Amino acid sequence: MVMRILAVVLVLAAIVAAESGNNASGNKSTESNAATSANVVPSSTAQNAAIRVEGEKRFRTNCGRCHMAPHKFPPRMMATFVRHMRVRALITDEDMRYILAYMTE
Amino acid sequence: MTVIFKAARCGGWVTALCLSLVMSVLLSAPALAQAPDVSGTATVPVVTGGAAFVPIVQGGQTTLVSIISPVVLVPLGDKWLIESRAAFEGDFVRRDGTTGPFSGEIQKSLEYLQLDYIANPHLTATVGRFLTPFSMYNERLYPVWIRDLQADPLILPLEQSSSNGLMLRGGFPAAHDLNLNYAAYFSTLSSNETLASERLVGGRIVAFFPNQRLEIGFSLEHLLQDTNANRFGTHFEWQPRALPLDIRSEYADTESGRGYWIEPALRLSALSHARVFAHTQVVGRFQQFFTKPGATNGDVPGADTKEPEIGLNYYFMDGLRATASYGRQLSSEGNANIWTSGITYRFAFPLGRGGY
Repeated sequence: MVMRILAVVLVLAAIVAAESGNNASGNKSTESNAATSANVVPSSTAQNAAIRVEGEKRFRTNCGRCHMAPHKFPPRMMATFVRHMRVRALITDEDMRYILAYMTE
Repeated sequence: MTVIFKAARCGGWVTALCLSLVMSVLLSAPALAQAPDVSGTATVPVVTGGAAFVPIVQGGQTTLVSIISPVVLVPLGDKWLIESRAAFEGDFVRRDGTTGPFSGEIQKSLEYLQLDYIANPHLTATVGRFLTPFSMYNERLYPVWIRDLQADPLILPLEQSSSNGLMLRGGFPAAHDLNLNYAAYFSTLSSNETLASERLVGGRIVAFFPNQRLEIGFSLEHLLQDTNANRFGTHFEWQPRALPLDIRSEYADTESGRGYWIEPALRLSALSHARVFAHTQVVGRFQQFFTKPGATNGDVPGADTKEPEIGLNYYFMDGLRATASYGRQLSSEGNANIWTSGITYRFAFPLGRGGY
């Protein structure tokens, strides 16, 4: 019985999350918008700065959940680590892209 | 949606969970923001991991614990990753208990050897031997260079360290200031000593609020052998922005017992920016374990147990740390003091050209 209740709770949570997710990009904070409006390839210093700020913020928030934020490794190593952490540490694709951009700049 | 509710109502909670996860992934796909494009970033195989030398004195008996745990990461293209971790641990004790030379064997284990395929931004498929995604300690806090206190939590054996089979997992921003992460897995039975696993199915869902730096997770597991028991776990983590403080906690309830731990850890940079304070962390932990009748797991305490602990970590640099702790185990089987002190180290180097 408990398992069924938990299953229903999980189902509801997932559905609510999925449906609210469609509106997520429209609800981002001003800070996030400044960064996420930077398109696929940043073309200006301002865009680079915005990505750097957002990347550092996400780096501190995500990596610090389990361990001391490490120093920067060489870019190829960092790319491998971030892929590993994406699988291991519940980092979303979006977080991964900002963190990797920040750590390899 | 009706299909999901019907599945849940009929008792097919695993099916319902899988369906809900699939729907979540499909429905939330448009939510991905225009983050920087990092596809094609060059990678290199890496060897990393942790090593530690941590003598433990429990009830007057000294154990010299030496561990080296290498992790090998081999990225293949943009979407594949082979990752593996082994552990070599020597627990050396005095031959006659409290005097005489230390002796012991090196225990070798393969903790994971898995192939990951990043199918899309919200889904990664894993096959092989993987760390069971039940709660958070086993999967994320276990390495010696990460854990704040070197002694294992009493409920760690309830988390079933590794599984052999298939796992689907991923994460996505579900709303403003909310990331959802999920994992669903199936494991097959293996009685091989090195590759031991149980036949089970399970899932975990985690809500993470980045602005509050708050994480809450729920784990479910259903054993498909022997007792067909259900296992439940929940975990919590909070890192307030106002203080360099981590508060972590887990609760687990299985057929082998139930229990919890709560662990606050404070960096003393909150008190002073002097170097010695900035590099020092004070940790506390309180935990309780409650036995269940008929439990056969020999790795958990045989009687109800509680244990307060306090510890100190000093970070010489990123990856190198001195650690010490004191705990008092209180149990009807006997009370005992537990002292630990030692060094932990995290290493990392590329297998290939320089990493640049």
